This record gives sequence, C-alpha cells and structure tokens, in this order.
Amino acid sequence: MKVLGIDTSGYTNAVGVADGNRVLADFTFEARHDSLEKIVANIDFVLKEAGFGLEDIEGFGVGLGPGSWTGIRVGVTVGKILAYSTNKPVSGVPTLEVLAYQARSMSALICPIINTGAGDTVYAAFYRTKDGTVSRTGEYYVGDIQGLAKMVKEPVVFVGAEVQAYSQLISQALGFPDGIRAIKDVPKGATVALLAATRLECEENDDVLSLAPLYLKESTAKAFVNKYSRSAQVKD
Amino acid sequence: MLVLGIETSCDETAAALVADGKVVLSNVIATQLDLLQKYGGVVPEIAARRHTELIGYVIKEALDSAGKTLADIEAVAVTAKQGLVGCLLVGVAAAKSLSYSLRIPLVGVHHIEGHIFANLLSNPQIPMPHVCLTVSGGHTMLVYVQAYCRYELLGSTLDDAAGEAFDKIAKFLDLGFPGGPVIDKLAVRGNRKAFNFPRPLLKTKTLDFSFSGLKTAIINAFKHRIGNGETLPLEDIAASFQEAIVDVLVAKTLHAALQRKVSTISITGGVSANRRLREVFSETCRQEGIEVFFPELSLCTDNAAMIAAAGYARLKQGEADDLNLNVIPNVPLEVQVGG
Repeated sequence: MKVLGIDTSGYTNAVGVADGNRVLADFTFEARHDSLEKIVANIDFVLKEAGFGLEDIEGFGVGLGPGSWTGIRVGVTVGKILAYSTNKPVSGVPTLEVLAYQARSMSALICPIINTGAGDTVYAAFYRTKDGTVSRTGEYYVGDIQGLAKMVKEPVVFVGAEVQAYSQLISQALGFPDGIRAIKDVPKGATVALLAATRLECEENDDVLSLAPLYLKESTAKAFVNKYSRSAQVKD
Repeated sequence: MLVLGIETSCDETAAALVADGKVVLSNVIATQLDLLQKYGGVVPEIAARRHTELIGYVIKEALDSAGKTLADIEAVAVTAKQGLVGCLLVGVAAAKSLSYSLRIPLVGVHHIEGHIFANLLSNPQIPMPHVCLTVSGGHTMLVYVQAYCRYELLGSTLDDAAGEAFDKIAKFLDLGFPGGPVIDKLAVRGNRKAFNFPRPLLKTKTLDFSFSGLKTAIINAFKHRIGNGETLPLEDIAASFQEAIVDVLVAKTLHAALQRKVSTISITGGVSANRRLREVFSETCRQEGIEVFFPELSLCTDNAAMIAAAGYARLKQGEADDLNLNVIPNVPLEVQVGG
C-alpha cells in the first residue's frame, strides 16, 4: 500500500512515501513560517521525483503534532482534504511517536521532546521498543525540563530537534548523567508514511473529515477571558 | 463554470458553490456563535481550531446540498487576503489541496472584494462605476468600484469598525454578542432623539470614519449609573446610538458618491443587514436621486458565495494562483499581489 506521509508540526517540514515497509521517497525542508506556502508544492515535487502521481497514492499519513499550532493545522487540513478529495483513507500519527520510532534501534527507554515555543516548556512522552515497534508507556507530558527529568528512573534516550539544548539541563537534573543520550532528529515524512501504512493496513483509519491536531495544550484565551471580561465567564 | 468558494478569514467556516459567478447553488456557513458568546468575541486561536475541525464538513455539505460531486467543481476560490492569519490559512490549505488533487484552477480573493461581490450577486444590475460602503464588525470602508476587480479606497475607519462599535456597546450594556442584531431589535422600541450622542467626523470633509469616541462617550455617560445598579433606558440608548452610527455612514457615503459623481451606491457587509441603516439610506438616496442596493440578508455577513463570485470574476480576467499561494492578513484592497 503506497502511503504519502506529511508532517508540518515543527520548523522542519517533511514529505515522504512508503510502500508497506519500504521507503520510496523522503524529503525534509525548512519551513519556519511558510509551511502553508511550501507544503502542497513540495508534495507534488516529491511525488514527481519518485515517479508517481497523486492518483498512485492509496492512503495518507499526517503528523498530528504536538508542535506549532499553526503548523499542524496546515498539515492536518492538507492531509484530510487530500484524503477526502481522492476518496482514500487517512491515519493521523502523533509526531512524538514518529520521533520515537526513528530512534527504535536504541535499547533503552525513548523520550522524544518537542519545544512548545513557550520558554522551557516542552511536550514529551516515553516509549518502549518491542519487535521493531514503539509503544507509549504513559500519558503525554507538558511541562518544564526539570519536571520531565524527575520522571526518569532509568537510562533514557532523548530525541528531538532541539534536544541537545536540553541535554545539559537534563544531566544536571538527573543523578545518573552517564545513562543519558541525546539524539538530534526531526520527524521524517517517510516515517509518518510507514506508521500510517501499518495502521491503514490493519484498517485503523481515522475519520477523514473529523481528523484533528494533537494540540496537548488549551488556548491561553480561557484564562485571559475569565480574568478580564465582565460578561463572559467561561465554564468548562 | 462551477466555482467552489471557501471563506475562513474570521469566525465563520463557509463553503459555497456558485455557477458562472451568478447562481448560488449552495451557501453553507458554520458560525462560531457558541464560541463568540462564550468568550465575548473572536479569539483567533480558538477560531482557527474550530475552522480546522469544520472545514471538511462544510465543503462536503456545500456539494451535497447542491446535488454536486467533487468532479463537478471547475475552480476553487478562497479568501487569502485580509483577516486573521491563523484562520485564513486553514481555508487556503484546503483550497490548495483541492486544486492540486482535482487539477482545477486556484484563485485567492481579498475578503473585502468578496463583500463587494456579495451585492453584485444579489443585484447583478448594479452599474459601474459606483461607490460601495462595506461595513461589518471587522471593517468600515468606502470604495470606488471603477469596474469589476478595479478599486480605489476612498476612506476607512481610523479606529473601530462600525460593527465593532455595536459589539462593544452591546457588551457594555450586557446585551450579549454579536451586538448588531440585538441593538437593531431594541432600537425599534426606543426614541432615536433621547440622547444626542456624538457623530464623529460628520462635519469634516474626510471620507474616513471614527467610532471609538462615540463608544467612549456612551460608556462615560452611563458607567456610573451601571455601577449604582440603576436600570438604564436600553431601548433609547440603542436607538440613539444606532442613529448616530447610521447618520455618519449615510452622510459619508453620499458625500463620496457626490465627490465621485456617481448615482449608484452599494452597501455590503454584516451591518448592511441593519434595518434602520437600510431605511435611512433608502429614504435619503430617494431624495437625492441616487440608486442604492443592498445584498439579500444571507449574503450580508461573511459567506463563501461572495468569494466564489469574486474568484470567478478574477479567473475570467485570466488570473489564477499557483500552489505557492500564501495568506496576507493585512493588505489594501487595491494592491493585488501575485494575481
């Protein structure tokens, strides 16, 4: 099954194609503020380079985030509308899982980290590898690095685009810095495609029209409105 | 030519099918009224999240309710200019994806140009050139419409939009959101001359508007009485406030028509649904020998049919955008970037 995978959740965007467990194309490009401008043109570029048309694609994979809220809206919208308009299935893949999967050869607990863009607050989760797959061991984490370090009780491989910036903080916060490794990596389109293909082949499709980003954080508006507005009191 | 229009520039997720820029086959609008009422206004991040959830459903509904399929769409037009950046980009991402997968032309439209076309959809007989007042919660502008797709901005608000003043006064009086319909309704039973509120810039030659002073004057006049728990004459305040806004809008628009020596005026945007505004414009224009046109009510507020109509006009002129189309949150109407 040929699957197109995209991820626009970070400063590096990705497009890739996989067929079963074979990678047919993979392309990452910098898109700090221009995911919208570049993504569809780059999908076309990658498909042409690989010798395909969109009509050859049998399913879509979309990196759901977390990451840049604006960025993931671009990818999720493009993914769902391409799936809808070609009448093909779609599967959303958490970007943290994409990063963990790319580090699956490490024989340790894997902790992908994604910057929230707000100070030292990060998105993270822990994954264990088994038989070439990864599975999340607990809830998603949103908080500072020190809080994340407190959750670590065994050797861990941290992975992410800016993980090296955090590695010193992590080592300081931990009692056993020797067990810590940091791998700089970004989500790849081909990985999104591989993970989506696995799900789609098991018919674990997402509903095309309701596919939504994995924000992991509320908009700050709720707190703001409650503080300043006389007439609007926001209730959950 | 069957054009799918998409509009997500603010708080309405909308899609519509329009044939040949004239016939509206469907006009689907998912309002975020529940969110607006909850938060007392538009919160960009929350609006953008809602657009992402709804965009696919709205496009499908536009097709289903017109009895058409994806294969019937011949072009896609989308609001790409003027609006909230995070909101605009959801519509543009969807439009590009459709253009790419269906291999149909893509055209980005300026939101204000869409409003101008809303009235042309309702009243195709509107002659060129004419003066258009486009007035909503997000903008208040006087535009000289020289021909299809040729515009000159004559004036705009220096601070609040007229619809924004309605919203803010309604919020101050605790009448809920949006303010336009509720003030329109209350004003029917009120005395328009009960309070003599300021008419900003009315006596000056400028074609610009300013409504924030009017808003402040009302707040200053009544905040102590609200603080003392007094019951306010809401109907009279609504009627007098609305009259002040209408007086300014009518006077400036007629002044613009006179200055440009045109005998036709077109009123569009959410505030063009206001009953008193329509009444005063109709009466004044009758006396002055000027013809005035309003869009049907379903095309006053933000919608995608007007975007499809404007996009069709641009495509007819040989304009189209490629897959690199980006959003421009703030750009004058006259400046057509990349078109």
